Amino acid sequence: MTTHRGMSRRNFLKASGLGAAGLTLANYLPALAQSDLQATINYWHHFTSETEFKGMERVMAMFAEKYPGISVVQENIPNADFMAKFTSGVLAGERADTTMISVSRLADMVAMDGLVPITEQVNNWDLKQYFPDNRWEGITVDGEIYGVPAFTFVDWAYYRTDWFEEAGLEPPTTLDEFLDAAIKLTDPAKGRYGFGMRAGGGGQDFIVYMIEAFGSPILNESGEPAIDRDIAIEAVKWYADLYTVHKVVPESAPNDSYRQIMEGFKTGQTAMVWHHTGSLTEIAAALEPGTQFMSTVRPTGPVNNLTRLSYLYNGLMKEDNAEAAWDWVSFWGELDPTIAFLEETGYFPASSQVAEDERITGNELYAAAVEALAIGGQPPNFVGYSGWSTNIVLPEFQKILVGEATVEEAVDNMIAGLADSME
Amino acid sequence: MSFPESTISDPIPTRRFSLNPFTFLGQISEGRYWAYYLIIPSLLLVALVILYPVISGIGLSFQEMRLTRPAKNGFIGLQHYQDLLTDQIFRTAVLNTLEWVVVGVVSQFLVGLITALALNKGGIVMKAAGVIVLLPWILPSVVAGNIWALMLDSRLGVINDLFVKIGLLDQYKAWFADPNTALPATMLISLWRGFPFFTLLLLAGLQAIDDDLYEASAVDGANRWSQFWHITLPLLRPVIVATVVLRVIGLVNSPDLLLLLTNGGPGYATQVLSLYAFQKAYSDFDFGYSGAISVVMFLILMVFTVIYVRVSRVAQE
Amino acid sequence: MSQRNANRFWSTLAYLVILGVVVFSVGPILWTIITSLKPEQDIVTSELQYLPRNITLDNYVAIWNRSGYPRLIGNSTIVTVITLVICMLVGTLAAYGFSRYQFRGRTQLLLVYLVIRMFPVVLMIVPLWIMMRGFGLLNTHFGLALAYTTFLLPICIWMMKGFFDAIPPELEDAARIDGCTRLSALFRVVMPLARGGLVATAVFIGIAAWNEYLFALMFTNSQNSQTWPVGLALMVGEFQLPWGALSAGGVISVIPVIILFGIVQQSLVRGLTAGAVKG
Repeated sequence: MTTHRGMSRRNFLKASGLGAAGLTLANYLPALAQSDLQATINYWHHFTSETEFKGMERVMAMFAEKYPGISVVQENIPNADFMAKFTSGVLAGERADTTMISVSRLADMVAMDGLVPITEQVNNWDLKQYFPDNRWEGITVDGEIYGVPAFTFVDWAYYRTDWFEEAGLEPPTTLDEFLDAAIKLTDPAKGRYGFGMRAGGGGQDFIVYMIEAFGSPILNESGEPAIDRDIAIEAVKWYADLYTVHKVVPESAPNDSYRQIMEGFKTGQTAMVWHHTGSLTEIAAALEPGTQFMSTVRPTGPVNNLTRLSYLYNGLMKEDNAEAAWDWVSFWGELDPTIAFLEETGYFPASSQVAEDERITGNELYAAAVEALAIGGQPPNFVGYSGWSTNIVLPEFQKILVGEATVEEAVDNMIAGLADSME
Repeated sequence: MSFPESTISDPIPTRRFSLNPFTFLGQISEGRYWAYYLIIPSLLLVALVILYPVISGIGLSFQEMRLTRPAKNGFIGLQHYQDLLTDQIFRTAVLNTLEWVVVGVVSQFLVGLITALALNKGGIVMKAAGVIVLLPWILPSVVAGNIWALMLDSRLGVINDLFVKIGLLDQYKAWFADPNTALPATMLISLWRGFPFFTLLLLAGLQAIDDDLYEASAVDGANRWSQFWHITLPLLRPVIVATVVLRVIGLVNSPDLLLLLTNGGPGYATQVLSLYAFQKAYSDFDFGYSGAISVVMFLILMVFTVIYVRVSRVAQE
Repeated sequence: MSQRNANRFWSTLAYLVILGVVVFSVGPILWTIITSLKPEQDIVTSELQYLPRNITLDNYVAIWNRSGYPRLIGNSTIVTVITLVICMLVGTLAAYGFSRYQFRGRTQLLLVYLVIRMFPVVLMIVPLWIMMRGFGLLNTHFGLALAYTTFLLPICIWMMKGFFDAIPPELEDAARIDGCTRLSALFRVVMPLARGGLVATAVFIGIAAWNEYLFALMFTNSQNSQTWPVGLALMVGEFQLPWGALSAGGVISVIPVIILFGIVQQSLVRGLTAGAVKG
């Protein structure tokens, strides 16, 4: 702890020495005598599972030790209702001091003026260097930084090692190999399917990534809708065919959300599923790592890959307790809390400093994540993305699966819906 | 007719208002404005708590109010309503809402009424059954919805397993993934959760009916069927009207089960107005459009209620 | 003889109906209980277990330790009681007024209450939030209870009006001739007769307040006034749906209501016996 306090002092000296714009000495003095800073700040988050909660509680305990004068009031909001509460809070003027920011929501949050930029604090932060630039790019809107990275969900895939071995297959690296493996591993008589497709809640991202993987952007450089209709049709058709033509996906796919694909995988219904590092603990509790399942990088599309890195950030919703709030959100990026959180949850750290820790590099299960980390792109992040993908892309795709629309009709509706939402 | 003695010995009427609050209120009750005094507290409460949200909600529907595109916000008149006319999802949602409500309220009412009639027989078995029957409705909706999702699950579902065992199905069915079964499946769950409402209130209504009426008609030779039509139903009518109206409103307004089970899918097979309004507001952040959907819902309900209440003439009596 | 046969027929039919309805009602509840006693790997499994092979109480322990059950239940109880008091007191009086007195605008006013109930909750959240913040009622039990009255008071008024309508006004007239004030006629004649309806309405409102989720989520935070349904919803994680613990939560949340119901049932019975004087 003393090292941290010393570090902050140096930080203070550096900041005041440089005369950082807008930060007067008086503003920074309380930070020097940290125990003197008295404040109560609240924190909106969507941690829910037991492991996540344990992780957060450890981080809070460590924070209380370092900043005895600041008490953090955690306010827990179910993920599905998070934006409803956030939006209502912004509209009603009842904001939290700090909030968790998942990157796909950033653009909307900023557009509704729900977040406070913390560019200056970040630039004066001595730990900033440990986070590669793309971490910061992900949380930057119009040149302003809105959060500090806390941890990452690295996209990957799980596959049944025993089934693959039995069939003499290697984990697929391209979509062709993927389809081939999926077909070979499907055996409806045994109730086995090659792939657990998530086409219910939360499945929208896969459709969008697939369009990108086949080579069409969603927006162009200047932020206008730019979906290439032919490519999109090709991509969506390839993905939907898994269900409608090749039938390598369980019949339940149009309603399968996270829970269902995981249960399908755990109960031996499916050979492959796509998710991210966040679910490792849960899978490992049901199946034996190595002998029954393993993680691998998702197959690559014809043009781009399907791997995205979703960083979770913490940011400020208002400026009333800006100092204490900054202490809290930046604490999540420090070494010890990150490791503590990793130990409890298995969630991948955002800081490269931690990612090089042997607890990561020495863990075979994480090999795929390390590899994915190198190639993974950013998920789409523009105003209206989550609404468009959830309320247009996903239901249109479901219509193809259940035979209520052709691929062309669905893609046309997706394109029209994007134009509408960008208007 | 017998009353406690004290009633009769109460010293009334008194000219001067008493200091005893109960006597005082008793005196007030004799005044001209008694009916108003009864109603004013509720009116004040309603005006204080509900009026502003309702008016502001209606106001929203005439405005462009997109939180994430604040530049365009402002008054736009009937634009949203015009857009609704060509909105395919909206049209689907209206039809689904109708089905959801009509099938929902009819099935729940019938099951609720039949159950209440049976429970009205009395006796210890029926008393116990009366409590058991209410359980579905006591269970918090997040548990109820998820337990049904588990029972109907295409991998872990006990209902699927039973159906396969008795030969109704060849293999487990994914009820929520098929547009033909998704809405019926959610309506079954809605029936399960909703019928106890009717049972509870209709049973209370049944128990208030004087047994003498049945006895008298039995002497006149009426059978059960005609007793039901000529005594039970007419006397239950005020309760029936109120419960049906309230349940219709409840069904139109509560997207929680659908939000949990299907979120409108697959495609738009289970999309209803309340869900659509919710999505527009809290995932598209388009509060103006959401407001217009809400107002349409509101108007449909209002027209229905006014006609229904007039036809059943319950408010006039 | 034929009368006895008919009676037996109707009686048998009634029991058959109840048997069917009880099975339908209890099935899912039973499954909730069974699920709550299973360890997770026996729930998420390819071979369904009707009777738990390994019975465990871990789910109950987990939910008790994790969710702050006593505090959440305490909050829910307080909010429910306040809601009940406001609705039953204000609503019953109004319902009686509507049921018994003719005055200008009565029908319209009665419809206004319903109309208000019709307004979609989606759009009420933000304005209510703004108002509650203005009055300093956010994160308070009273504020949440007040928000509940927005949709429960109209229900109370309409239900109670229905029950009052079913009581012949002649009874009060007779009492008034005997020297009762209107108020004492209400409390000494009408209320005992309407007791069954009163209890049924109260039960309905109580359960609605007890189970409400959206307002509770919006208007409270986790520390002070969060209610049980919100606590339960938080169990359903983003990357976890702990079936066992969720079921245990369901079972736990039904228990206090059943206890309450036991108490209420007694008064329901008493209400009915009191009603017998009406002859």
